Amino acid sequence: MPQPQPNLTRRGLFGNGLWAAVVAGITGLSAYLFGRTKQAKTVWQIDPDKCVACGNCATYCVLELSAVKCVQVYAMCGYCDLCTGYLDPDPKKLDTGAENELCPTGAIERVFVEDPYFEYNIKEELCIACGKCVKGCEAFGNGSLFLQVRHDRCLRCNECSIAAACPSQAFRRVPADDPYLLKGAKESKPAGESKGIA
Amino acid sequence: MMGKSSSWVVVILVVLCLATAVISVALRDFSGRSGSGLSESYEYDLSQYEQIDPVLILYAQSAAFDTGLDPSVAIVIRGEELFLAGESQIRIFDLSGRQKQEIPLELPPQSLAVDESDSLWIAFVSHVEHYGRDGKRVAAWPPLDPKANLTSIAVGKDDVYLADAGNRIVLHYDRSGKLKNEIGRKDDNRQISGFVIPSPHFKLAIAPDGLLRVVNPGRHLIEAYTPRGDREFDWGSGAIRVDGFCGCCNPVAFAILSDGSFVTVEKGLVRVKVYDPQGQFVGVVAGPEQLTTSRDTKTISAAFDVAVDAAGRIFVLDTLKDQVRVFGAKGKTP
Repeated sequence: MPQPQPNLTRRGLFGNGLWAAVVAGITGLSAYLFGRTKQAKTVWQIDPDKCVACGNCATYCVLELSAVKCVQVYAMCGYCDLCTGYLDPDPKKLDTGAENELCPTGAIERVFVEDPYFEYNIKEELCIACGKCVKGCEAFGNGSLFLQVRHDRCLRCNECSIAAACPSQAFRRVPADDPYLLKGAKESKPAGESKGIA
Repeated sequence: MMGKSSSWVVVILVVLCLATAVISVALRDFSGRSGSGLSESYEYDLSQYEQIDPVLILYAQSAAFDTGLDPSVAIVIRGEELFLAGESQIRIFDLSGRQKQEIPLELPPQSLAVDESDSLWIAFVSHVEHYGRDGKRVAAWPPLDPKANLTSIAVGKDDVYLADAGNRIVLHYDRSGKLKNEIGRKDDNRQISGFVIPSPHFKLAIAPDGLLRVVNPGRHLIEAYTPRGDREFDWGSGAIRVDGFCGCCNPVAFAILSDGSFVTVEKGLVRVKVYDPQGQFVGVVAGPEQLTTSRDTKTISAAFDVAVDAAGRIFVLDTLKDQVRVFGAKGKTP
């Protein structure tokens, strides 16, 4: 005896399809939001080993004053009197005179420690990330100055406009809970001066 | 009529807007390769200092050969032989660049000296090893303290001098490894201001007058010391001009010619220059235009080494190309 066929009406088919669509939509939306959440756990940072201090960080950031700032690695700094990151290549005097300073915005502070050592501090509010001091320090010194995306300022754009304009591909995504790449961290044998001032 | 002309104005405006948009997109620098747009005051430009008056260049390159080492770190000439330290080995060449011998080492060497019997004294980061000319190890001294960073070694008749950049001191030993005294520790009573070593380039050598010459790079000086550690005199000045030592910490290496003149090497602006025995600038062997081809970080921070032979030829160890480049005085037969 043939089994009775279930009633498959047009209304029922439409209703089941609607439910399936809703479930699929919720699943898709959840997956999308989960993916977005995962993406948000990385942020932009500059690899100091690749950065060439081209100056693009000063002008390509969407912020009027760039989110990139110069950073000093005190453990690498030579604390030099003739600091080539602070002073013009041919300074008239080794002092804080504006005519002797390399930084066009006066964003580096020179503090006497003991003869002949000086400490150099970055005034972040004045730094525009032009990279001039970074080049000076790398040219003659230990390269203790480098550029870094400061995450108290960065807007975390999905497509960073500085990254797009970076000629050395120094921008990369790093974990948001460890957002800073530190210069010199991989070096095995520090210079003598790196061990502090006697 | 009025309605028709208004339509044309709208069309023209739309076309102009579209053209402006297309031109804006076409001219926009998405790659950043056209530069930062910063003015000249933001540029760090050393090109004017890289150019050296040709009249001052007294030498010309006459030959070059590969070291076969990567990296190459130190060069020494004794008699008709040239010794190179690098990787984890010593290579011995004749002065024409023909390799004669290889001596494998267990660790990367930092500096090298050859004594009167042609035995080799090799400074590693924190200890010294003594090898016979046959390549067999004669002695290995115990390691120094963990801060030690030995960057130069010189050997006299009864003395071994070590430049320790980590502790900013010169250590004076006898040949058995017994410490005799320290040289260069800050002492106002002896007019010793102390060594300033911003980067690990701290060289020394024994001059023909018997005094030890030590570079004090942070003060841009070459200082003369007696074996007992008395500071006799110094010379040198910090300046980016060609007659001075540029940057924060130079010279990074030097060699002494048979007449007592000095051949110095600088980093940052890679310059090899000659000074007379009193420290007066004589001339240039080669400058950045002769020695380097780019201004990238690796190039500008490279520290070349130098040695001289009895004929007055200058052998520059190019640590970028891992080459020995031979320079002879212009107008002299090589």
